[in-house]
Amino acid sequence: MCLGIPMRIAAIDGFNARCEAKGVERDVSLFMLQDESVAVGDHVMVHVGYAIQKLSQEEADSTWELLDQFLDDA
Amino acid sequence: MTADARTWLRRIERLPLPHSVKIMNVCGGHERSITMAGLRKALPGNIELVPGPGCPVCICPEEDVFEAIEIALGEQVILLAFGDMLRVPVNRPKSEPRSLEQARTAGADVRPIASPTEAVRIAQENPGRAVVFFAAGFETTTAPVAAMLAEGIPDNLSVLLSGRLTWPAVAMLLDSERPGFDALVAPGHVATVMGTEQWRFVVEKHSLPTAVAGFTPQSLLAAFYSTLRQWLEGRPFLDNCYPQLARPQGNPTAQRQLHQVMEVVDANWRGIGSIPASGFALREAYAAHDARRRFPDHADPNRKRAGEMPPGCDCAQVVLGRIYPDQCRLYGKGCTPRNPIGPCMVSDEGACRIWWSGGLRENRAMAEKTR
Ligand code: SF4
Repeated sequence: MCLGIPMRIAAIDGFNARCEAKGVERDVSLFMLQDESVAVGDHVMVHVGYAIQKLSQEEADSTWELLDQFLDDA
Repeated sequence: MTADARTWLRRIERLPLPHSVKIMNVCGGHERSITMAGLRKALPGNIELVPGPGCPVCICPEEDVFEAIEIALGEQVILLAFGDMLRVPVNRPKSEPRSLEQARTAGADVRPIASPTEAVRIAQENPGRAVVFFAAGFETTTAPVAAMLAEGIPDNLSVLLSGRLTWPAVAMLLDSERPGFDALVAPGHVATVMGTEQWRFVVEKHSLPTAVAGFTPQSLLAAFYSTLRQWLEGRPFLDNCYPQLARPQGNPTAQRQLHQVMEVVDANWRGIGSIPASGFALREAYAAHDARRRFPDHADPNRKRAGEMPPGCDCAQVVLGRIYPDQCRLYGKGCTPRNPIGPCMVSDEGACRIWWSGGLRENRAMAEKTR
């Protein structure tokens, strides 16, 4: 549960964001980031459907390297 | 392993380390990365990586799982839980449902979900039915549950909360006579939400080297290196090897929502007992959404006791870092992910399951016995 998935914001509607990672789209809540400036194109760390923090593209990529490895193993 | 990770590894290899030093992690995500990346084998043999209390499913009290099963069976509700919780067994006669999964087989409407937002959607889609969300988890999961409640949820949705804080279990270990570790790697996403400062007590009160780590091998190795150097130099400080996400004060919005919706209370940990100020409870203002108040007839106070792991299961010892998974006599012998006996083999964050899926198939307890 604690791993978190980095995703890229594709569209924002209120506290709801359409996010994308590896060609998969998901609705993500921005409710926990409402005091941050969050924009389309930003990357967020998603945990159980909620963005818990913004992160850089670079950090998103290195986390995805790891997740890819897990998925290969599984 | 990336070039970056190999550099950290070489730095660690060059340290003049004594014959044994133990570093504890308290996060299932950390343990998974360590195991899958083979960091135990890659590191010098005198460094022990101990998985500690990092699995919320494993320590979710039996009485809470029992209550969820009883509500699912006894009321005409839709019972939602994170997927991991469905197979967690409780101790009761074989003729009665021992898990939420078995309750479903017995006719209860039990559904796995992956997000609190799904709970809201299901409640909206079923306005005529009561929906109960059994929410077990550490801060990273409980904060989104608080956010869900703070944003507002349908009247027919209530929460059976079993949220826990991570640091009090570490504090309990450190206050005990036998903490069992020399340094701590603190959980990166818990710190992202709650702030790295939450871990300062480990350094200041207990003088133990500490570093917050992310989940990539390079971040974990950087944290190991940091704590080992602190240890060698006798100069512990709180290091942050995950500054990309974890800030000193964490995510203040998330903490505000947590505080608005929940209060911190003493709480029971399965197999361990009560730990002061280690759990979350819904505040009075959210009583209408508290499943414990809405369905008060299903709690069994007699179940509130420590040491209620299934017979023969050493999960509590595993969670506390007192033994490694393969030192349980049942590991791989009767207890496997396909046929789990204890919660540590059920949950993706349980050390037993992580080790087994990581390919560690030998049972050390048995090997030692026959030697
Ligand atoms: S191997 Fe199974 S029985 Fe043994 S501690 Fe782990 S979960 Fe419990």
